[in-house]
Amino acid sequence: MTPNDRPAGWDAGDDARTSLSEPGTRLLAELDDLLDQVDPVPTDLVDRVRFAVDLEHLDVEVARWERVDELAGVRGKGSPSTITFTVEDLTVMVSLTPAVRGYRFDGWLVPGGPHTIEVRVDGHGSTSTAADDGGRFALAEVPRGLTQILVHLAVPLGQLARTVATPTIVL
Amino acid sequence: MGGRQAASASPHWEELSGHDRHAACLVAARAGDREALDALVVELMPLVWHVARGQGLGRTEAEDVVQTVWLTLLRHLHTVSEPKALASWLIPTTRRAARRGNGAGADREEPLADDMVAQVPTEHALPEREALRSDRDRRLWTAFRRLPQRCQELLRLTVLAGRAEYGAVAEALRMPRGSIGPTRGRCLEMLRGLFATEGGSP
Repeated sequence: MTPNDRPAGWDAGDDARTSLSEPGTRLLAELDDLLDQVDPVPTDLVDRVRFAVDLEHLDVEVARWERVDELAGVRGKGSPSTITFTVEDLTVMVSLTPAVRGYRFDGWLVPGGPHTIEVRVDGHGSTSTAADDGGRFALAEVPRGLTQILVHLAVPLGQLARTVATPTIVL
Repeated sequence: MGGRQAASASPHWEELSGHDRHAACLVAARAGDREALDALVVELMPLVWHVARGQGLGRTEAEDVVQTVWLTLLRHLHTVSEPKALASWLIPTTRRAARRGNGAGADREEPLADDMVAQVPTEHALPEREALRSDRDRRLWTAFRRLPQRCQELLRLTVLAGRAEYGAVAEALRMPRGSIGPTRGRCLEMLRGLFATEGGSP
């Protein structure tokens, strides 16, 4: 232990509440209770994250979903819609059309290139396809469910492989 | 550094608790132990969630941010310099991801406080008592949501402090550890004041 180490018990739960007034302590306890009731961690979030991080390659770049409003629409009722995600130098748009068992995916990568798109659906394994040189790709049928999209970028020989992963989304 | 050297001789993470456990999980996850990674996700999820929510994100946006943070950790499994500092890595990483999620506007509306409290399931209580309690809860929640953002975050982290590392709380709010207490005290006083305005008796 160096002198900079925190004293023993510093991070004990009780320690966080010492030196507070009696009503303050009570209010804090009430707030504790209230946060658990009003703002709990969503029940399926742990499972969604566990699925999201269950990847072959850990060295992934994390994409961001764009256009939250559209996404909210998809989340709400699963009607035909477009979802978009980005990383620094890549934007991917996917149009979803309801199919018999799930969705047809029609997508477009910008800038285009012969990259591989992998769609993972929890409980259904994954489906892959390659984009054409213009960046277009299609998957005839992707099952509904907790979905994550990966893009394995085709990089010139000698460069490090890159994989982009999205957060999961329920489609 | 010493912690990492000693890791191979340390007890298995399942036998540990607190941030020793998280440190051991991180080391195990680096070596490809999926269960150790899952344990981290399960046990530190409340911390990441409440930091994201403490930045003012709605619940849906917070979910994306939370996932982004954990995916980002994958890439940094081998570079989080001090396994014991995992909470200290998670908090600022979540705050940054939340600010990006907030975009330029940063003014996205929270669901109405009343709506959220109304969604709280009522159970195991007499109807009258529940109504009274819900009313009190509603007023407390309204008061809480009127606090400055930093107070909201600090109080969220304080109520989690039994689980999360206290030192990491200080780091998250970029304050010397010693000043957490007084600041928290002021935030609580403010909450009491706002609660009184809402008609609550603290």
